[in-house]
Amino acid sequence: MTTTVTASGLGLRYGGTRALDDVSLRLTPGVTGLLGPNGAGKTTLLRVLATAVPADRGSFTVLGHDPGTSRGRHQVRRSLGYLPQTPGLHPDFSAFEFVDYVAILKELTDRTARHREVRRVLEEVDLGDVRGRRIKKLSGGMRQRVALAAALVGDPGFLVLDEPTVGLDPEQRMRFRELIAGAGEGRTVLLSTHQTEDVAMLCHRVLVMARGRILFAGTPAELTARAAGRVWSSTERAPGAKAGWRTGTGSFRNVGDPPADAELLEPTLEDGYLLTLDDVSAEAAA
Amino acid sequence: MSVLTETAAGTAVHEKDPRPSWAAVVALARFEARDLLRYLPVAATLLLYVGWTAWTLFHSKDGMDAYPALQDVDRDTQTGPLLLGIALFVCVNRCTLRSRRRGTDRQFDVLVMEPWRRTVAHVLSLVPFAAVTALVVLGEFTRQALRPGAVGHGSPAELAVGPLYVLLCGALGVLLARLVPTVFAAPVAVIGLVVLSVFVSAGTGGAEWSRWLSPVVDEVSGTTVLPSDLLGRPAAWHTLYLTGLILLVALGAVLASGGRGRYVQIGAAGALVLTLVGAVAQSRGVSPELAAARERASVTPQRDQSCVRRAGSTYCAFPEWTGRADDWARVVDRVRSLAGGTAARQPLLVRQRVEARYGLDGDSAIPALTTPGQVTVGTRWGGNRVPEFAVGVASVLVTGAESKGGELCDGRVVTVMWLVLGGSAQPLTDLADVRLDDSVTGSASVLAPTDGLSMSAAQTDVVRELLDRPRDEVTAAVRRNWTGLTAPGVTTARVAQLLGVKAPEGAKDCAGE
Repeated sequence: MTTTVTASGLGLRYGGTRALDDVSLRLTPGVTGLLGPNGAGKTTLLRVLATAVPADRGSFTVLGHDPGTSRGRHQVRRSLGYLPQTPGLHPDFSAFEFVDYVAILKELTDRTARHREVRRVLEEVDLGDVRGRRIKKLSGGMRQRVALAAALVGDPGFLVLDEPTVGLDPEQRMRFRELIAGAGEGRTVLLSTHQTEDVAMLCHRVLVMARGRILFAGTPAELTARAAGRVWSSTERAPGAKAGWRTGTGSFRNVGDPPADAELLEPTLEDGYLLTLDDVSAEAAA
Repeated sequence: MSVLTETAAGTAVHEKDPRPSWAAVVALARFEARDLLRYLPVAATLLLYVGWTAWTLFHSKDGMDAYPALQDVDRDTQTGPLLLGIALFVCVNRCTLRSRRRGTDRQFDVLVMEPWRRTVAHVLSLVPFAAVTALVVLGEFTRQALRPGAVGHGSPAELAVGPLYVLLCGALGVLLARLVPTVFAAPVAVIGLVVLSVFVSAGTGGAEWSRWLSPVVDEVSGTTVLPSDLLGRPAAWHTLYLTGLILLVALGAVLASGGRGRYVQIGAAGALVLTLVGAVAQSRGVSPELAAARERASVTPQRDQSCVRRAGSTYCAFPEWTGRADDWARVVDRVRSLAGGTAARQPLLVRQRVEARYGLDGDSAIPALTTPGQVTVGTRWGGNRVPEFAVGVASVLVTGAESKGGELCDGRVVTVMWLVLGGSAQPLTDLADVRLDDSVTGSASVLAPTDGLSMSAAQTDVVRELLDRPRDEVTAAVRRNWTGLTAPGVTTARVAQLLGVKAPEGAKDCAGE
């Protein structure tokens, strides 16, 4: 599959903190999930790839353009849709006006075509009926969809979504998943999230980050496979388990290194993610 | 330029062009201008400005409004947009800070249009408001210029001040937002600028250089409208100063928002030079040439005037007022038609006079002419000025010289006032207009282009009595008794007797009543 985004040796320090440490990655069309604990450097990585902050070291390209040059940065920004973690909105604007405003900032200058595009993305995020309503009168989920529409306007080739489903109720999250899955058709989407289910359901690839480094890059199935043979059931919490919790059936689900006679369970992507993080912690401690 | 094109899938995508699109900046400016209109202060002050100007233009009374001097009209257009400018200053400041206030900076900073070009769009969003102001100014001026009684010349530089002021206020709002990113700064700055201007004005004693630093330098003409070439306002230099200042402020805002390109820096330096050149040039005060021209126009106006003859009298006016000779001649003919003796045929020299030595807002009285048969007329016309001129004409016909008119207090005042009012279509209105206190009874001062008269209560009563009688009857009596009526020292009682009116009891002339 064609590589659309490549990064090599990206590094960024904030004071004494190494926010990004030699990050290299390759993204292909489709949705790539970015998992990691708080402070792992996910948002920093997204902001670097979105050209919001420059990296101290390393380089990257988006759709063949190098943002290290003024011309290249301009081109990257033309190809970019960015939805930050807490997107701002202009509450006195209508949904249409806000997305139109963003479209102008993306330099879509033909008024008729721009308005057609704005209507298209608002339809795409299911806000066509309320496009004239002031944003301050929309629900939280609708506002999040306005922000997504703003990221999608102009049909960007590279979409960066920073925890877009935070704060949404299950129904809204489900709706958002549909939208992100749709957005991933034909374009490269990098989705930062804490929701492993989102990654499991949406992503063809997944990256796991911690302490500014990429710990894992592969398919969700490969991440899940990391936990194969390392998840088991017991009646009590197993002393050697990295994590263990009582399930709804009353038995304990343990993740870690099972005893010899353990009753093994089918691993999930979350199990693989937890073990990946834990392995690194153990290495660091050693 | 970047445009959207249809893809096979039916969606719209960019055509890739790495050059920044100025069309997008213009599109953003249009968006921002529309948004500015949604701010109540902007919408209200704009409506107020346009509405008030239209109302005053189409509801102006006849009187003096019908005879505008265009060198005053151009300046009058400058104060109209004052409130609009302040509203734009505050509201464009809020618009510029919108992204910061609403937390959209993070999203917008990675979009194609850089912050400095967004700043340019905010400045450009003011252009429609300046254009509306320019249209209103133009409409205001054109409407006045088309009045049949209009005289003089307007200055394009003076007319440009209103729109430039609007642009300057808005640009300052943008700059303030880029330097002090809080919405509280703008209202505080408005108050601060007002206080600062008061202190500067007081501290410099209203010096020329400090007065002209203000964007709008309003000077109201006194009783005299000066000929255009005697105004001495450095309007063109002030326009240059304002233009430079606008560019400097706008480019300062662009620099503050990250636009550090070579052209921006060169432009800012050029704007600074323009501003300084304008500021220095506008502060030079009255030149010796202008002072000499003002002196000449005040003391020996005949050197600058041209004269025309109408019905035996001569009318001399400054070049911009020569077309008004017919209006003056009508008044002279009317007054003279009621006189008797040789006065009925006496040729007069009507001389237009100004006191220009003290500048535009000087309010000094013009001394009366001592040469017999000469009458002063001012540069204002219409309304009260018509019967006032008639008083001057009648005084000369009765006493022989304008300088003697101011000394009148005896019964000749009655004859003078009859000549003024006897031929008028609205004698009581004219009587009220020409008296300082607008009264039609009792004693009062009567206005004239130079020295006025004092009219006692008894004289007022006699004049009122005459106005109640048939005009032909009184005119015949005046002509019959002209010598007695115009004899120096004639009493009001004697005048009343000669005109067949009951003499007021106990009336004493000149010594008071």
